[in-house]
Amino acid sequence: MSHSFIAQPQEPHKTKASVRFFSALVKFSPKLLMAILILPVLGGLLGVILPAFGWLPALDKTQFNLQGFEQLIQTPGIIKMIALSFFSSIISGLLAFIITLLLLATYFDSPWLARIQKLLGPILVIPHAAAAIAIAFLIAPSGMIARLLSPWLTGWQSPVDWLLPHDPFGISIIMGLTLKELPFLLLMTLSAIAQPALNSKLRAQYRLALSLGYYPMTAFFKAVLPNIYPLMRLPILAILAYASASVEMPLILGPNTPPTLAVAIINWFHDVDLSLRIKASAGALIQLLITVSVLITWWLLEKIALAITCKTLSNGKRNYGDAFIAKGMQIFTVFLISTIALALLGMIFWSFAGYWQFPQAMPEQWVLLHWQSALQQVQTPIINSLSIALVSTSVAVILTLLTLEYEKQNGSQLSNCSSLIIYLPMMIPSIAFLFGLVWLQETLHANATFINVSLAHLLFVLPYVFLSLAVSYRRLDPRYAQVAASLGASPLKIFIQVSLPQLLIPILMASALGLAVSFSQYLPTLLVGGGRLNTVTTEAVSLANGASRRTSAVYALIQMLLPAIAFSMIWLVSTWQNKQRAQKMKTEVSL
Amino acid sequence: MLLNKLQQLMFSKKSRLSTLFVYFLLSKFVVVLTNIRTLGLRKQYAKKSKPSLPKTSIYRFWLLIIIVVIKFLALLSLSTLSYAQATSVKTAVQAAIFAQETTAKNTLKITSDSPRAAQWNTIEKLGKNQPVYFHAWGGDPQINSYIQWLATRVKQLHNIDLHHVKLTDTSEAVSRVLAEKSAENHQQGQVDLVWINGQNFASMAKYQLLTKNWVEQLPNFSLTNPTENEAMTRDFGLPTQGMEAPWGQASLTFYYTPEHSNSVDFTKSSYLESTQSAPKNIHQLLDWAEKNPGRFTYPKPADFLSLSFLKYALITLNQDKNEQIKSGLYQAVTPQSQAALLPVLWCYLDKLHPYLWRKGQYFVTSGTALQRLVGDGEIQLGFTFSAAQIPASVNRYNLPKQTRSFVMQDGSLSNIHFVALPYNAANSNSAKVVANFMLSVEAQAKKQQAHVWGDSTVIDISQLALEQQKLFNSNKPHPSALPVSSKIKALSEPHPSWSKLISVEWLKRYGAQ
Amino acid sequence: MSPTNEHNSLHIENLTISRDKTPLLSLNETIRGGEVLTIMGPSGSGKSTLLNWLTGQLPKGFNADGKVYLNGINISHTPSYQRHIGLLYQDALLFPHLSVAENIAFAMPKGDKKARATKISFALAEVGLAGLDHRHPDSLSGGQQARVALLRVLLSQPKAILLDEAFSKLDSQLRQETRELVFEQIKQHKLPAIMVTHDESDAIAANGKVINLKINQQIN
Repeated sequence: MSHSFIAQPQEPHKTKASVRFFSALVKFSPKLLMAILILPVLGGLLGVILPAFGWLPALDKTQFNLQGFEQLIQTPGIIKMIALSFFSSIISGLLAFIITLLLLATYFDSPWLARIQKLLGPILVIPHAAAAIAIAFLIAPSGMIARLLSPWLTGWQSPVDWLLPHDPFGISIIMGLTLKELPFLLLMTLSAIAQPALNSKLRAQYRLALSLGYYPMTAFFKAVLPNIYPLMRLPILAILAYASASVEMPLILGPNTPPTLAVAIINWFHDVDLSLRIKASAGALIQLLITVSVLITWWLLEKIALAITCKTLSNGKRNYGDAFIAKGMQIFTVFLISTIALALLGMIFWSFAGYWQFPQAMPEQWVLLHWQSALQQVQTPIINSLSIALVSTSVAVILTLLTLEYEKQNGSQLSNCSSLIIYLPMMIPSIAFLFGLVWLQETLHANATFINVSLAHLLFVLPYVFLSLAVSYRRLDPRYAQVAASLGASPLKIFIQVSLPQLLIPILMASALGLAVSFSQYLPTLLVGGGRLNTVTTEAVSLANGASRRTSAVYALIQMLLPAIAFSMIWLVSTWQNKQRAQKMKTEVSL
Repeated sequence: MLLNKLQQLMFSKKSRLSTLFVYFLLSKFVVVLTNIRTLGLRKQYAKKSKPSLPKTSIYRFWLLIIIVVIKFLALLSLSTLSYAQATSVKTAVQAAIFAQETTAKNTLKITSDSPRAAQWNTIEKLGKNQPVYFHAWGGDPQINSYIQWLATRVKQLHNIDLHHVKLTDTSEAVSRVLAEKSAENHQQGQVDLVWINGQNFASMAKYQLLTKNWVEQLPNFSLTNPTENEAMTRDFGLPTQGMEAPWGQASLTFYYTPEHSNSVDFTKSSYLESTQSAPKNIHQLLDWAEKNPGRFTYPKPADFLSLSFLKYALITLNQDKNEQIKSGLYQAVTPQSQAALLPVLWCYLDKLHPYLWRKGQYFVTSGTALQRLVGDGEIQLGFTFSAAQIPASVNRYNLPKQTRSFVMQDGSLSNIHFVALPYNAANSNSAKVVANFMLSVEAQAKKQQAHVWGDSTVIDISQLALEQQKLFNSNKPHPSALPVSSKIKALSEPHPSWSKLISVEWLKRYGAQ
Repeated sequence: MSPTNEHNSLHIENLTISRDKTPLLSLNETIRGGEVLTIMGPSGSGKSTLLNWLTGQLPKGFNADGKVYLNGINISHTPSYQRHIGLLYQDALLFPHLSVAENIAFAMPKGDKKARATKISFALAEVGLAGLDHRHPDSLSGGQQARVALLRVLLSQPKAILLDEAFSKLDSQLRQETRELVFEQIKQHKLPAIMVTHDESDAIAANGKVINLKINQQIN
């Protein structure tokens, strides 16, 4: 590697312009990144706040008042809507958190942890809509579970009118959200504790606790958890914020008499009666309050849990029915994985199914008809999905790299305030500012739909790309850059020839993640695109409530396949690179 | 005072332009940024043609990055370009129209044989090579592929790119046009053509969102025989005033799958046998639901199909009232007519709901979901406005083989659906060309084929030549299709204000439980 | 061979540890209470693997054949958390989320809160750390941390103790002091101990049997 830097005579006159430009670019990029994140969010929020207080010049309403909120309060079932949003998010977050902890505790020192990680990983990139469709297929009265158990166990000859999905208590929403959030939380935690220094320390402390006679699960909870919880907090808050305002899951799995607040807001926004937009805006502000109160509730729960458990940490008790819980968790793991497998299998079955009467567990015929007709219609949505994702992801990756380079050159990490801004779109419910964004666009006559949608996607892609790239970039050994600099390489050269090549795989990973995030965006595409840009996700959601379960299954599967393709490309590139490396090693050895 | 000034500032034309400018500057900046980046890269490459290059993977990496950047650039410039193009094309077209209008006036004096034909020729010429954004409900794959067929045909005939903007609810298009109007976008409307009728038409007409008197320009409109056939110019009782062109007609059709289907061979049993146990009127429906709890439901208002069912119930439940009270249904709602007609509906629904699917605690959001529930065997009785969809769905395995269609004996709600042209459509000429093609014998005959869509034609077939009439004849009827012999007692649509009222009142009563 | 029935003893019987079927080390040894067995050898000779096997945490890729008896009881297949073998690493590994006293309490058996607290204060005073009960472990010096770690192991009432390079991170003055303290406590509690080190002076100070391991070579 290093031989390439030897004998590079400096050409100060020629390099100067590009180097100067590069450093200007690097200097400017954090500001641009901040602007791209802040302006639409703040502008969007403004575009919600003004109409919420009655100011909507488009409807000749230019008086500030509280009518929107009054209308909102008078809406039948408003309390139930709010409660549904609040509790479904907090309970699903709590469940995902507890299951993550139990999984970690059960398998902390076992090879199964890596296996579970591999099994749950793909779910991370499955869009919420597709996951919701899969879960609906599973738990519906005519779904896979009922079919497998009927009629031999249940005696049902035709589907029974039971609670799920769309139950008024939001159980189905909670199930869906938990299943989707669990892999996210688990993988985020695992990647956080995968940092070598931290990991070896945690493992040593865990072993120490074992040698002091602590049973494995108790050892995890008392010795490891208190040290990794701070790393879990951000992902948890992100999933709570998302869950409190998500639209796809409640739309596909939730009740509608009344629906969750977020779904109701979408309906008001799309109503023929434009004055309902004032109510919708007021609702969006309430939604924001709900999200904030969910986050505050979590913070309170955290404090309470800490107060209760801080004394028990050192009380010397070494076993809390560990063996029993561990057995239970093992059974639960099998259950969890088979549930996911069954949901997937059900979708695949439906997409190829001919006639398939209840309670048969398998279709009567297998046909390609649904795939054929869907593939004829899905081309434009796929091209749209791909091009939006490529544009937003490449902008996100380039901006992130430049910002991180700025960070490195200045030798200091972004301030807390700036990092907060990066995570802003993750924390503020998108429903709260997207309406405002649409309103702004309408006011500005900004009709370049493609750019608008791509920019909106960028808002959501950027935090994830940044999150995933920052870790590897900051972990880069600074000595390589120092060595290169001492050999006379310019910052631009170091960036391009030293830093980036080392980051090839992380960059590709971040890109794949960005693509996956963009693929899964429903609300931004729908609202900002105004329905003119159909992506696979918008099609899948609109077909989820449509006439054909089979077509719906095909679209959901296509939706899952898109990110899967992105990730398998990365996998191919990385194995190919490894092979190249191995070959080089071989030739070197043989020399 | 201060606020007013602020508003003026924000919404004056000038400042809007400047904000628009800033907005574009931002997007352009991204382009410039990446442009410069690639340039810098090239320089780097040019300089670095020395043998001491690092390992080859760097090249591949950069190749990848460059491909991504170029792709991104192309896409970005493409979309900005199309915007710019659209604007310039629009102004050019406007100028052309103006010129044409004046020339048309001049030529009128000379060639008096057919001013209308000349006008249409102009429209057809102007409409060529333009896109049309057709906003239409997109929940039915069959209809979607029919629209795709339309798109390929207008591409062949007029080189028009017909884009189907799939709506989950037509009101989305209505609110979009309304928003555009309130944002003073009077020329660059995104909706060129919209599939519409009933309440949505009423509200678009009320807000003056539609172009008037364009339908008469369409040569094919005369095929519907509008002078003889008043229905072609009335939408839910409202005169269309040339704002929308008829496209098809439909009546509320029920479909039914008998239970314990495995024991009986339904392919052999007669139509009468299969539908024997199905309810035949609104009262039987309640009895049937009581006997088969959880096997029937209807969608949640304001879904189109939901309101259709509720209106059917409203009309039939009030059938024995005197004529004067009944006539209230076809006029705008008054407190009197509301008090006289509505209570019986709520009374009925109160009785019906406990026996619905999910005990009436959950209602499907879209009408199409009914078909999925019947297909899954969760419910046994559904209804639709497109009768032909039923045999088509059976062929596509979405409904069981033993599904049978029938119409209620106490009446069947019937209506015509239209396509309308928003007042600010960016591509109005091409939209007219498309609408004209939709009314052609070719397109209407294709649409009526059961395996295509099965939507009844609006063309007065009796006026056609025999050769053309044959095109409309269906081949062998499907066992699940509505028998040709079925007697349809058509019920006209109530005044549109009833839909709104029913929807609001329903949500108050049953929207939050 | 029958295990020694003696109280306070660690008996390793016919142990062979191999990696990928290559034998790494073999051992047959009995350590009595208060005695320290020193194992020396270069890295890769299997010293740490031996300790890992003794605590029941043999890493993947290693195979072990043999038995270990603690106080006459075969614990070869007992899970590590039931073996009661205490461990001292080169890092103190004090839990950063607990105070000094809580770190020690963590190791102690359940019991009356007050009695435990008094015992901790007493023990801390005994090793010269009086009054540091509620300090955060990070605020202690390296030597202090090492002493807290020792107290933590001792108060967990282990039946044997393993020292894994326990003194290698301390400077020479501190090292000597800490070492003396540890060996003194081991003697006082009559614990069988095994020490792994590559410092000659540790071995001398331990004043017990010394085994020198070589890579891929059988001993004994």
